[in-house]
Amino acid sequence: MIDHDAADELLAGYVLGSLTGPDAEEADRLLTEHVPDCLTCRSTLDAFRGVTGELGLVVDPVNPPETLLPRLQRDLNGGGHRSRLRAWSPARIVAGAAAAVVLLGAGGLALTQGGGSGPSGPLTQADLAQVQTMAANPDTQVHDLGGGAREIEPPDREELYVWGTAVPSPRPGFTYRLWAIKGVVATFIGDFVPLDGMVALKVSVDPNTVDRLEVTEEPIGSTPSQPGQPAWTSTG
Amino acid sequence: MAVQDTADDLELHRRLAAGDRGAFDELYRRYAAQAYGLAYRVTGQQMLAQDVVHDAFMALWRAPEAFDARRGSFRTFFLSMVHHRGVDQVRREQRLRARTEKAANLDPVEDEDPADAVAEAGYLSVRRKEVREALTELPAAQRQVLEMAYFDGKTQVQISEELQIPLGTVKTRTLAAMRKLRSLLEEAP
Repeated sequence: MIDHDAADELLAGYVLGSLTGPDAEEADRLLTEHVPDCLTCRSTLDAFRGVTGELGLVVDPVNPPETLLPRLQRDLNGGGHRSRLRAWSPARIVAGAAAAVVLLGAGGLALTQGGGSGPSGPLTQADLAQVQTMAANPDTQVHDLGGGAREIEPPDREELYVWGTAVPSPRPGFTYRLWAIKGVVATFIGDFVPLDGMVALKVSVDPNTVDRLEVTEEPIGSTPSQPGQPAWTSTG
Repeated sequence: MAVQDTADDLELHRRLAAGDRGAFDELYRRYAAQAYGLAYRVTGQQMLAQDVVHDAFMALWRAPEAFDARRGSFRTFFLSMVHHRGVDQVRREQRLRARTEKAANLDPVEDEDPADAVAEAGYLSVRRKEVREALTELPAAQRQVLEMAYFDGKTQVQISEELQIPLGTVKTRTLAAMRKLRSLLEEAP
């Protein structure tokens, strides 16, 4: 039986981004193993996140530099994700940025284009529970990608998962880029950014055709020709 | 008024999710100044603040489905995201170098033209007043740890060391502050 006061302490620190060390790891476990199935904790987390949003109003608004909107418009023209997704092949990112998914179990991202695989449904709470179950399976291979993210490779399934709940944001102006590596060949899968530190990517690909996944950090809107340096150093 | 504006946000978000650039521009007009003010307050650096806001809007465009109206308002979703990214940048900067340009208070950025008044909807001003009042109702000790975490991007361990109080006390005060604010803000009309 979980101690909800202790859980609330972790959730309060988590939404403020103030946890480190063992507390951050404990929050990671809580968010992964308990929160998706606990209405009380989901409600608390939503409410605390709402508080962090409201606290943003305490600060006086300040007009951003006039260059910011043109910069955004330029980046939207050059790197709008909607056109980029159509080029994703052979794998596809079915869902990403799982914050909404974890907390509600529905309404997560449903990227419906790419790889010729057809539309996919949103990553549901059942999907997440399935990922957790698979991760606990002794036959499942779990690789540390670094950065708080893990690659989960279940047996006998043509899919891989990238999962993390405390993944740092990429550097300003950069995005994370996911690659499938086979030998010396790198295949671009897609760009992603964590939301509130959370990442949940489902990659539909036969693991036998991929040696490993790799995450690089690349300038937003850049052409995904070849992977640069890995974003994180794996501790595995 | 506030209800109507919330509805407008939802409609803008719906259009944004459908790829409407006009909706993006309107959401930018509504929230860029608040987001920039927050990002600058947290990061203490104009360039970093600009990057934070830029990346938050890009993330909104790239993954509009991340917002779910059942979980809260668009405003709190977006500002929460900006804050989270701001804190991430503070952590990154702390690792790289000491901050050299720190916003010590809530004053406007120095090179901003004071006459360049920020145009914002009235309901934001009303809500700002409510949130500020709620903050003042917190016991001083709770407010202190909350502000150190939220506005200065400090970790609970750093707060514990700086205030020379046990880590457990920081956690307790943080939770009490968050619960109290939650309650006060839910009560606000």
